[in-house]
Amino acid sequence: MAEKQSTPLEKAARLLDLVPYISTHQGVALSELAAEFAVSESELLSDLNTLWMCGLPGYTPLELIDLEFESGFVSIRNAETLQKVRLLTKDELVILLIGLDLLTKSIDPKRIDLLDAITGLQTKIKIIIGDIAMIAPIVNSSYRAIILNAIASRKNLQILYHSLIRDHLTKREITPIELMVDHGYEVLQAYCHHVGAYRTFRLDSIADISISGIQQPLTISPLEDEAFEMEITISKRIRSTLERFRIAVSSDAAARSESFRAFSFSQDWLIRSAMSTLAATEVLSPISSRLELARKCRKTLDLYESALFDNIP
Amino acid sequence: MSRKTERLVNLTIALLATKRYLTKSEIFRTVDGYVGTPESKERMFERDKDDLRNLGIMIEVGTFDPLFEDESGYRIKPENYQFQLGELDSKDIALLSLAAEAWRGAALDSSALSALVKLHAIGIETDSEALPDLAPAIISKDANLAIAISAITSRTVISFTYLSEALQEESRILEPYAVASRYGHWYLFGMDLDRKDLRSFRLDRILGTLSTKGRAANYDIPATYSVESHLLENRSQQSAELYLRSGRALALRTRSIEIFDKKTPLGWERVSIKYRDQDRMAEEILWYGEDAVVLSPESLRTSVIESLQAGVVRYG
Repeated sequence: MAEKQSTPLEKAARLLDLVPYISTHQGVALSELAAEFAVSESELLSDLNTLWMCGLPGYTPLELIDLEFESGFVSIRNAETLQKVRLLTKDELVILLIGLDLLTKSIDPKRIDLLDAITGLQTKIKIIIGDIAMIAPIVNSSYRAIILNAIASRKNLQILYHSLIRDHLTKREITPIELMVDHGYEVLQAYCHHVGAYRTFRLDSIADISISGIQQPLTISPLEDEAFEMEITISKRIRSTLERFRIAVSSDAAARSESFRAFSFSQDWLIRSAMSTLAATEVLSPISSRLELARKCRKTLDLYESALFDNIP
Repeated sequence: MSRKTERLVNLTIALLATKRYLTKSEIFRTVDGYVGTPESKERMFERDKDDLRNLGIMIEVGTFDPLFEDESGYRIKPENYQFQLGELDSKDIALLSLAAEAWRGAALDSSALSALVKLHAIGIETDSEALPDLAPAIISKDANLAIAISAITSRTVISFTYLSEALQEESRILEPYAVASRYGHWYLFGMDLDRKDLRSFRLDRILGTLSTKGRAANYDIPATYSVESHLLENRSQQSAELYLRSGRALALRTRSIEIFDKKTPLGWERVSIKYRDQDRMAEEILWYGEDAVVLSPESLRTSVIESLQAGVVRYG
């Protein structure tokens, strides 16, 4: 494993944190201590050797920090001054505040004890740093835990999935493969037994999830999906429209006023995206998509003009 | 390398152990590691003070003898050095540890790690059994998130290039106030110094890296500021009425309230839904094509109908 050399400042911070940690974990194994501080054992030994030379002015054995680690287990004496756990920096408080927000939204509302504890901690933190950070999570942390569990134990999952493209909820048995990030969204790559093919599921579209009793099959033959392509021009709301079609956004795109190419494994998604952005885009090709859009526009417009919705107050 | 580390630790111990302010000359005389000419010692000390401040350690400057006011001294008050969240029980530690774990591998991995070490150093066994099985995760690896958070906590002005809706590169200069994540995107809030108004920016629309301007502690965030109320203020909501085909337009349906007391054709439900941005709302309605029909407000209905008419002309 390639080691990243700590800066003197990082090392000093670690030394200051090592003292209280060892004080409350007297006799901790070197290997365990190295893992806790995410450093190699050799780097830890260098830390301990440095710490051994530190102490109160005077620097006689009476004033120096007394460390014992030759045995492979670390203990500390004569370090009263540094024994208190160091304060959390403001950046650390911000990440804790946000992290607690994530938990709140995933805890069963019946666990009032936990929710109260979180509110109490967040109040303490906000008194110190202000109300300057929050997250409204889109993924339930307990769902993620179930997925990670299933992958680790090679179990299948049963999900209730909301497909935005097909606009329906389906119950599916899936074999989870890997959690990934796709265009900023967390997705699960899985084999879907419902359709008999590999599918990508957005975690924020999973409405319910549970581990299924069925053992994961060992080999599944992969099915290659073909990507569809659509050529479009954009007349306004360029940034938002490019983002919607998941086309890389850059300022060069404005200079080139020609057409853009959007790709997806779902033709349906491309059509719906083009419907959504009727006010800003024109699909140039394929012709079949233009025909489909014409049909959809006509049918929808008919509804607005139909007698079905007459007598609307 | 390690001489500097040693000196920083020794300086911390000396300033923390002292009951009175230590003068610079006392520090140079007694703390191990200050060597060289008076000027180089001075430089070393200034740099060390900055470094300790970056670790969140506050060095207090004061006069140790009222008769010699010009000779200032230094110390670290124990209450400014030690863990500041007060008494915590094992459940609190478990929750805070889980909150920090959410950042593992993400934009603020190193802050997460140092927070965890401090939490564990308190020496209370965490009671993870008491918690449900949760795997919180922040997936953003955007380096600008960490820079923004540091700029906010240190009150440092930042500047950046922002991509406008028309894909123009705009220079922005901002007193950053807050960060928040909604709908899966991170936003940065603050006082736009050119426009002299509170503004928000989506982090992934910032081109390149945020750069900090000038010194820390350059401005104040108003004591009344709250990111939550900033978000709510921005959300001056309107209400639309729609017909949704039964069993369709699920995402719209889950956000809406069904209206029962008005005449509705068979196979449709009438609902009311709140929205902020008319263009967005029109796009969302059109996504569902012939499964959603908007009734009011008139401006939204007109915008949807005009888009459809344009579509019929364009593709028909």
